[in-house]
Amino acid sequence: MKRSYLGYWFISPWLVGFLALTVLPFFISIYLSFCRYDVVSPPVFIGVQNYAELFSNDPLFWKSLQNTLLYAVFAVPLGIATAFGLALLLNLELRGMSVYRTLFFLPHIVPTVATSVVFMWILNPQIGLMNSVLGLVGVAGPAWLSDPRWAMRTLILMSLWGVGGSVITYLAGLKDIPISLYEAARSDGAGAFARALHITLPMMTPVIFFNLIMGIIGAFQYFTQAYIMTQGGPQDSTLFYALYLFYRSWRYLDMGYASAMAWILFVVVTLTTLVVFKTHRKWVHYGD
Amino acid sequence: MTPHSSSQPGALGRAGLHLVLLLLAIPYVLPLIWMLSTALKEDSQIFPREGSAQSALALSNLIPNPLAWHNFPDAMATVPFVTYLRNTLLLCFINVLGAVLSSAVVAYGFARLRFRGREFLFMLMIATMALPGQVTMIPTFALYSKLGWYGTFLPLTVPAFFGVPFFVFLMRQFFLTLPLELSEAARIEGATEWQILWRIVLPLSKPVLATCALFQFLGTWNDFFGPLLYINDPEKYTLAYGLQQFMSSYGGKWGQLMAASTLFILPIIVLFFAAQKTFIQGIATTGSKA
Amino acid sequence: MGIDRSSFGKRQLRRLAFLANVVVACVLLAWVAVPRAEPRVFPERIPVRFWHMWSGEWKIVIDKIVMRFNASQNRYEVVALSVPGGSADQKFLMAVTGGDPPDVMAQWNQVIPAWAESGLLVPLDTLMQPAEWAELQRSAYPVALKIGSYAGHLYGLTTGINVFACYYRPEHLEAVGAQAFPDSLEGLMALADRLTRFDDAHRITRMGFMPAGFNMYAPIFGGGFFMDGRLSLNTPRNLRALTFLSESRQKYGFENVLKFESSLNTGGFATEWPFISGQYSVAVDGQWRVEQLAKYAPELRYQTAPIPAPQGGKPLAGFSNGNFMIIPKGARQVAGAYEFIKFWSGVDNPERAAEFYTWGGWLPLSPRITMTAPYQAYVRKYPQFETFLNMLSSENIQPTPPVPFQVLLTDRIIRAEEGAIRGSGSPLQAISTLEADVAREIARRKRFGL
Repeated sequence: MKRSYLGYWFISPWLVGFLALTVLPFFISIYLSFCRYDVVSPPVFIGVQNYAELFSNDPLFWKSLQNTLLYAVFAVPLGIATAFGLALLLNLELRGMSVYRTLFFLPHIVPTVATSVVFMWILNPQIGLMNSVLGLVGVAGPAWLSDPRWAMRTLILMSLWGVGGSVITYLAGLKDIPISLYEAARSDGAGAFARALHITLPMMTPVIFFNLIMGIIGAFQYFTQAYIMTQGGPQDSTLFYALYLFYRSWRYLDMGYASAMAWILFVVVTLTTLVVFKTHRKWVHYGD
Repeated sequence: MTPHSSSQPGALGRAGLHLVLLLLAIPYVLPLIWMLSTALKEDSQIFPREGSAQSALALSNLIPNPLAWHNFPDAMATVPFVTYLRNTLLLCFINVLGAVLSSAVVAYGFARLRFRGREFLFMLMIATMALPGQVTMIPTFALYSKLGWYGTFLPLTVPAFFGVPFFVFLMRQFFLTLPLELSEAARIEGATEWQILWRIVLPLSKPVLATCALFQFLGTWNDFFGPLLYINDPEKYTLAYGLQQFMSSYGGKWGQLMAASTLFILPIIVLFFAAQKTFIQGIATTGSKA
Repeated sequence: MGIDRSSFGKRQLRRLAFLANVVVACVLLAWVAVPRAEPRVFPERIPVRFWHMWSGEWKIVIDKIVMRFNASQNRYEVVALSVPGGSADQKFLMAVTGGDPPDVMAQWNQVIPAWAESGLLVPLDTLMQPAEWAELQRSAYPVALKIGSYAGHLYGLTTGINVFACYYRPEHLEAVGAQAFPDSLEGLMALADRLTRFDDAHRITRMGFMPAGFNMYAPIFGGGFFMDGRLSLNTPRNLRALTFLSESRQKYGFENVLKFESSLNTGGFATEWPFISGQYSVAVDGQWRVEQLAKYAPELRYQTAPIPAPQGGKPLAGFSNGNFMIIPKGARQVAGAYEFIKFWSGVDNPERAAEFYTWGGWLPLSPRITMTAPYQAYVRKYPQFETFLNMLSSENIQPTPPVPFQVLLTDRIIRAEEGAIRGSGSPLQAISTLEADVAREIARRKRFGL
């Protein structure tokens, strides 16, 4: 019995904060999603009209949802694979490795507002670095962010640039794998690749799981780069869900509508996360 | 993948690895090199003039001549640099301390202690990250207003002390990988859970703690929207806010803008480089865990 | 887990260090938690909180104006705060919701109808004497009142209108044998063709003239988005304007033009304006360029002229916006705020305020200010300003339509232009889509009871 209460004590910082600072805003925003609210006048209850409107009368809702799903489906797995691969490389013992690690981590620390500006320039169709490099090999680069067919692909590729953060978590995890396991495997005759497959990968599944969940949550809320670089264009091809939500709430002063959008997103993300959680025991291996 | 011993790649293998790493590093580093190079250019050199077809890849373009070093002090002079730096460091220090400590405690609770509703509460905590901040912004702001915290640093520091879900999740994953025998042995000897956390679990978790500390530092360092929203006193603003001001006003002074951005990220680079030792625990320590 | 004597001291030390950290943190936290008063120059006066979005060089101008106001009376002190442009609206709206708004704000986004509709702004005409209001309506430039008004009330008083006209390089024109600036849009486009230069790879190295901005050209073609007090989008004249924009760009190839434009520094206030470096022979921009050119490129030879009208179009037409002072509902110092607004805009003292307009290169609120000695001296110093002043009295200058969903309308108009000039749809399709989008929004608002 004592065990049970002790657990509550330990999580009490989060629990208290949750009840004091998070729960109330959450419930208010649920209420707001059933209201007409322009931020300045008091909210007016209108029932499920926001939701009805979203599902039946708003093509941009579906477009933004589609864009976001597209992004998530590609960016999340690519991000995990890239980060994991890089971490494996960066875990090797090589002289100057700390320099390499810093290099790969650098993009993650530059504030998004600065990297967005930098990339807008690099992807500049006329004088950008990217098209100059392509020009060297005789390829005429597209207008990247100004081309409706390329803008989304560009943003997905750009997301790989910032994997430095995930790499750090993988590195920290790699360091926690006991060497004895490797030594035992080697004495059994396992090669480097087999060792990676049967020891490293399973032992890293808790961290991979973490990055998968955070990746999903992050992908669904992708906003800043689109806000700064494309503003949803060209022709709504990069109108992400969170961006459209932002426009509805702060530009068009339709906060009730935006709240409804937010809660729909919440349901989608939570369901997806739940599915991943429920199935994770099958592939995540906690060491013991 | 092994950190040491006889399977160390030979000289050829090492050279090959260096090559691979360098090639991979190029797309990551080139934008930043370009940023630095633009920071050292005069504004007139950044855009091509009439009739010229300039290649961005030309070496003359990457290494400007003359080097406009003055962009850096110019950028620093346009904002109250020292004040902003002081405020930013203050906020970072407080937030890192609060976030890492509180998250560790909460994570231990979720990882190693059994209590009713544990799974549910954990899922709930994860779920709180799924709601876009846009829509809780107003009620949260109103809450802080009612508390009288508008205009102070409190909304920017207090929440960190209540556990950060991102860190709690990450730390919990790590704690779960620690062998149970260690804590079992301690429990048999009469240690309390609190002692186990502080004397056994945390010392073994330095990599994840350092990771979270770095992330929190980074997050607070880069946060401009919090100060924008809650602070009205120019004496209290932060470097991130200053950078944002810069971006919105000096449209056109690209050289200075890039200089300001470079200055902005410099301390973190130094911090990361110096702190790498903590992620990269000594082989001895890792080995001793076996 | 017995206590190891040899590391006991170390453990104590670590514990002490940790405790010391905690103490330091608590002290720091306490220090930041204590609210301190904002720095004041005249602490005994009533503070009037003023938010604006200017920074850098412009902030210096604003600070000067604020100092002048504070020196001109001793009841109020205006305390100015510069907020980054991209997020200023959010900060402002939050402050209003939180019950702690500033007393006055300088706004340049097209938000007055939307905010007025939501009851966010204090109608400034209610702060005036009836005679004052009547006089303002009589004397101010029509466009100044158009932008600041909504539903019969004045919500924003201007401290600087912007209008747009052509800047051109006479030597470029002379080089192709053109004697004078064309007096028709068709003539201008023909001239532009002669002025544009390509390199061997058929990339544009100099652009004669490339029109842009649906909201600019709709009035020039005799159309507009708000006619007879109603929204009017899909009209023959608007369609002609959009078609014109589309055809001008497609003539050279959309990709080609895009590549050219992306190689230019297009910051709105940038001192590296492509016009200066000769990459445009003719460029349309706002009146603030006049002073900028004098400061940063004094030896540049240039002239200005209004955008010429096409056949069947309207002269002295175009788009306009500006800076407006607004007072939010819930402001504590409404009277003080209005005093400041009056002081700056020159409603009751045009002579004194004329100077402020010259500092920012802004166009004034009314001819009374234009006619004062200081402003006339300014115009004599920068003769090109005349072009813009002449346009101020024109009835054909149109701001963004005063509808509550102005911002959404602007976004959709931009999308329509994008679609048409890119050639992914015909101009007719683009304009029909625009009409449909807006109709959908209006129906939606009705359903929501707005």
